[in-house]
Parts: sequence; structure tokens; C-alpha cells
Amino acid sequence: MSSSDPSSPYADDPNPSPSDNQFKSLKLEQGSDSNIIQKDDAIAQEEGEQESLNENSNNRQETSRDQGDRIDSGNVSSVVWRRTNSEVEVEGPSSPSSSGYAGERGSSGASDDDEIHEVANNDGIDGVFDSQASWLPGKRHVNEDDASISWRKKKKHFFILSHSGKPIYSRYGDEHKLAGFSATLQAIISFVENGRDHIKLVRAGKHQVVFLVKGPIYLVCISCTEEPYESLRGQLELIYGQMILILTKSVNRCFEKNPKFDMTPLLGGTNDVFSSLINSLSWNPSTFLHAYTCLPLAYATRQAASAILQDVADSGVLFAILMCKHKVVSLVGAQKASLHPDDMLLLSNFIMTSESFSPICLPRYNPMAFLYAYVQYLDVDTYLMLLTSSSGAFHHLKDCRIRIEMVLLKSNVLSEIRRSMLDGGMHVEDLPCDPLPCSGSVSPHLGQHQQPTDSPGRFREPSVGIGGPDGLWHFIYRSIYLDQYVSSEFSAPLNSPGQQKRLTRAYQKLYASMHDIGNEPQKTQFRRDENYVLLCWVTPDFELYAAFDPLADKGLAIKTCNRVCQWVKDVENEIFLLGASPFSW
Amino acid sequence: MDRSTGRLGGLNVSESGGVADAKNLRVKLVLLGDSGVGKSCIVLRFVRGQFDPTSKVTIGASFLSQTIALQDSTTVKFEIWDTAGQERYAALAPLYYRGAAIAVIVYDITSPETFTKAQYWVKELQKHGSPDIVMALVANKADLHEKREVPTQDGIDYAEKNGMFFIETSAKTADNINQLFEEIAKRLPRPSTT
Repeated sequence: MSSSDPSSPYADDPNPSPSDNQFKSLKLEQGSDSNIIQKDDAIAQEEGEQESLNENSNNRQETSRDQGDRIDSGNVSSVVWRRTNSEVEVEGPSSPSSSGYAGERGSSGASDDDEIHEVANNDGIDGVFDSQASWLPGKRHVNEDDASISWRKKKKHFFILSHSGKPIYSRYGDEHKLAGFSATLQAIISFVENGRDHIKLVRAGKHQVVFLVKGPIYLVCISCTEEPYESLRGQLELIYGQMILILTKSVNRCFEKNPKFDMTPLLGGTNDVFSSLINSLSWNPSTFLHAYTCLPLAYATRQAASAILQDVADSGVLFAILMCKHKVVSLVGAQKASLHPDDMLLLSNFIMTSESFSPICLPRYNPMAFLYAYVQYLDVDTYLMLLTSSSGAFHHLKDCRIRIEMVLLKSNVLSEIRRSMLDGGMHVEDLPCDPLPCSGSVSPHLGQHQQPTDSPGRFREPSVGIGGPDGLWHFIYRSIYLDQYVSSEFSAPLNSPGQQKRLTRAYQKLYASMHDIGNEPQKTQFRRDENYVLLCWVTPDFELYAAFDPLADKGLAIKTCNRVCQWVKDVENEIFLLGASPFSW
Repeated sequence: MDRSTGRLGGLNVSESGGVADAKNLRVKLVLLGDSGVGKSCIVLRFVRGQFDPTSKVTIGASFLSQTIALQDSTTVKFEIWDTAGQERYAALAPLYYRGAAIAVIVYDITSPETFTKAQYWVKELQKHGSPDIVMALVANKADLHEKREVPTQDGIDYAEKNGMFFIETSAKTADNINQLFEEIAKRLPRPSTT
């Protein structure tokens, strides 16, 4: 598959060479002041646009920007709000609600400034302590409907409904009891559609109602989490993708035959799949980065896994994927077949038992057709997925799995995987101190290279217990060409699931503001609020998102970001799947 | 793995297997029935001796195997396809019952709808399954007799009319689970041993 020599770290190099990197970062440092000014401009611009939009749409409503047809916002939002939360005061038109980072400037009252606190607090009220560790699948609050106060108080609702207004899925409450509410949502959507326009967003006070129309399927998110519209819309896209993964897009035909078709029985038993996806929105960067992450492994170990998967892929398997929880160990595709990171996310989220053989659809690969997924857990967290287009291939895939499993056992790949799971990935405390002199040997390696002396008593900056050097708390590095990202492990002071969710949301917001198509593309962003200093740096090769102590020094933070990039570079053989990636076609 | 002994099901054993195979049968068994009747629980009870009341909904189909020894010293290896009961997989069921030597059709004694669904599966198999498929009708959740809504006699009558073997089981208490599989094993067509 890879013609270039993957054993050399810089051959076929998707990322800039260290010297490039350094050069760019110097430029960053020099230009940092002007960048900040730029950002301020951008904020002003964004805010201005927001205001004008709000004015146009008669306070808190946006229909599609390209078409001038606006609906009477007063009516619609009052309909929405009477049904969802009558206690909420609808904001007056003079106070435009802000989006994106405008909130920092306090343009729309107190709520913006401590929006993230509020999220954390309200999680407590929810009584839903959702984190990777403590989260249990299953639908909660089943007995609620839109008349229950507790239902109305939920911070974030997701709905799927049909174009005739029949409920298909609701995050909270019983779908059948929500028929009336669902019909209301449908009425809003079709009212706008009848005017040959498309509704995208309704803003009412702190709440946003985001709509996504996919043929006969409507998806709606109602949220007061202040996440950007683009993020919420992306989340609806993922939920739609998950539905397609279960049913394929040919479900649309059922609506052609019978517009009043009831889809709920078709999704029977999949509540856990959706609730687990929605849960991962608050901690898994894959959900907004459109990239996947790898389990750190020695290069040779990953190569051994890739080699046997490649062997199998040559024998008629479309995709062979070895994963550990949500992290990829290796993945191989048949010639010319490429797997979209979103499809991988949705596939690994789709709970399957072991050993199983089930029809699934990869929405980005072919939304109309079923593939067949053979799944086998090799240990508690590690599982192998073999995808094929042939429904009769079970026994062949089972034989393939037996072969793969034997090779993985013999070459100790499975024990390396377990070790890597225990060791974890990159810890900010381990960030090498000086970027220039220490390349290769001095920088700490991950996984099995970690010396026993490294782990408990390894060198730390004076700031023990409060993150890495210069106030670095966390980072995400996304390689554009590889479609992969690496994020540091969460450590103090980001220990609690609430804090991790808050940071994930902050990154998500940062990502949305950096990728806003409406605005001129930005290269860097430096933001300080009472929770963090956030630094984002986008180049054609990579994107870096870093979170620092709110009191961190800007110059030092920028230097630290350079060191992070260098560090990622130094260990890229271990943290990324190189060469064999079907994405690099 | 020795796949020469008819991986498609027990009926092939006599065709492809030798004398040794007459003593070591290998059969494909498929479980069918509405969602939530306890198909996976029956299999887990049989294969692992466990019962998990919170067990997850099966998606697609999972594959398990278990070997039992009969008194006449033959062994039967069941290759079990535990299918998902949801409607969306109904059209894909032939994928799993094709070539099956045994179909175990399960309903829940507390739910008449599941009994109706069971009858649907019987008809489907009579139409599209292997002609000499061995079918068992299983009335599960027998421990919930206070909530019973499908009389035992209805099950017996229906099974008799369709030439099926009938048994009431409880995956929760393990009642009749092993008996179910032993009875099935006894009813398998044997390769003619001289």
C-alpha cells in the first residue's frame, strides 16, 4: 500500500520538518501581537454580522443566509418557548445574543461570561454525571414528556422525527408521548419550507433550536449550552449518520411509499447507540475534529499489526480495523477503499457483541448499501472489525480473525496494547524542556519505551499537580494529511468529567471559530478568559489546540506550543498510524 | 480449523463426513423470535451457564458455539446464530437461517404478540428454510407464570400442528435449558451408521 519507506520518520512526511516548524513558530511569535489584534477585529466582525443578522431576522432568528425569505420570528419562537420552557424570558431585540467568541466581551449580559460554569453546574442539577468512566448506557428519564418540568430543564435535547411529524428518537422522554411536541417541530420546519426556504436556527434567550433536514428525516437540537451553531449542526449530522449506519439511506423509500410511516420499530433496541454517541460528544474530540486517534505503540508493533491486517485485506476483506476502545491500533483498506474518520467513529460507537456478524452501512462510504461487519473482541477493550460486502463471508472472516489473532498473540501485539492502555498517551508533564537540543534520544518515548524510573519519579517542572510546564494543561494536535489527532491525557487540574467536558466544549468552539466559512480563515488565536488561556494554531499541515492556566504568560505559552509540536514530531512514529493509512490515497 | 465437515449444518455431515463424523456432529442452529423474548439469555445460559437480566439488545447476530455429549457417546457441536429480534433485521434473517439444521423459535409466555411473531417465523421457515429443518418452539420466561398470557396448551397445539418440538423454559432459573438442546440433539437426522 505505501510505496514510500515508512521506517524513516521523515520520509513521506505529512508534517513540516522540524526546521520548518521552528521557522513558522518564530513567525508566530513575532506576529503574535498583530494576531491578537486581528482576532479582536475578527470578533468585532463576527459580532457585527451577528447583530445585523439578528436585526434582519427580527431578533433571534436566522433562516438560511442566502435566501431573504424570513419567517415571522415572534410567532415561531413563542410557539417553541411555550412548549419547552415557559419560564424563560425571551430576550429583547436590543440585546443580540452572541455566538462564537463574542461572548467574551460580555455583549449579551451575564450569562455569556460564565456560560461554562453554568454548564458544569447544571450537569449537577441534571443528576447525570456523564463521563467516560461513570457513564452507563441506557435511556434515562423515560417517563418524562414535554409537560414535565425536569424534561424542560434538560440542557440539551436531540430529536429525530419524520417529515410527517412522527417522532423517531428523542434523547429524553418517551418518543410516543412526545408526538405533539414532534408535530410542533415539524410544523415549524414545514412552515419555512413552504415559503421555499430552509430553517437553520432559532434563537430564543439562552436557547438555540438547530434544524437539519435530510429528505424525509428531520433532526432537531434544542440546547442552552451556548455551543456554536456549526458544532450543533455537526452533532446532528453525526446522529443522522448513526441512523444511516443502522438502516442505510434506503429507509427513505419507506416514506415514499407511505409518508406516515412509523420508523420507531426499525430503530428498536438502538437507544444505547444514540445515547452513547451523544455522550461522546462531550469528551471525544473525534466528534468535531473529523479525525481519529491512535493508541500509542512502538512503530514496529503497529507495523506488525498492520502487516497481518493487510494480508487479510488482500484476501477480499474491504476494511480490517483493530481498535482498543475508541483508539485505533491499525487499520487497512482494500485497494482504493478509504474509510472516513466519521464512519469509524460511528462504527466503533455502534455496540456490537462478540462474536458477531451484522449488517451495517458506512454513510460516508456508501449510504445506500449494507456492508457486513464481523466483530470479535480479542480482550476486554481490544476488538477486531472485518468489513465485507459479501453476506456469505462469515466463515471466511472467522478464519481471517483466527489467523490475525494468532499472529497478534505470537508477536506480543496484544500485550503491548494492554501495556499502552495502562501507560496512557502523552502527558503534559512529560513535555521535553528544550525544543532545540533534544531531538530523538532525549525526548521521552511513549508506551513500552518508558523506563520504570520514568513513571513515578520522572522530572517535573515545579508546577507539580497543576499541569505541565508554563501552565500547559492540555493539547490536541491534529495532522491534516493523516486525518488523525493526538491529545494529551487529562490530568490535574482537569480531572473531573465536568472539567473535561468544559474543555472539550471550549475546543469545539475554538474549532468552529477557526473553520467558520463566513469569516476569513485565521491562522492563530490566543484567548484568555477566567477558565483558560486557549491557543490555537492552524497551518496547512496541522492544527494545534492548547489549553493553559488562565494566568499563563502569552510569550511562554507560544514557546510551549512550539515545544509541543516538536514533541509530537519526535514521537510521531508511535502516536500516529503512518504509511499504511488508506486516507492518504 | 477443519471445515471439511460441512460447515453449513448438520445435514451436510452425512454427505461430506466420514464415519468419525457420525459420532461428532456439527450443526448450525438459528434462534429466531421477537425482540426481548430472551433468545440471547437462553444461549448465554446454555453456553456459559450465566444469566444477565441487564443484557444488551442484540444487534445483527452473534455467533456462539457449544458442544454437548449425548448418552450414546456422540457429541454435537452447536454453532448458534443468535439473531436480533428487531424488525429491521427481518429481511436479513435468511442470511442466518440459510443452511441451518435447527431453528429454535422463541416467544415470551407473558406476551401474546411474541407468540404471533413466533408463528410468523414458523411460516417463514416452512416456506424458505431447508426442507428437513428441525424446528423447536420455545416458550420462555416460564418463571413469570403469574404474568402468563399465552396458555401452555396453545403452544403445545401449535407445535403439534406444525410438527415441532415444544418446551417451556426459563433462562433465568435455567429451567429446561439444557433439556432443550439435548432434545434437539436427539432429533437430529443421523448419518446412517452401518
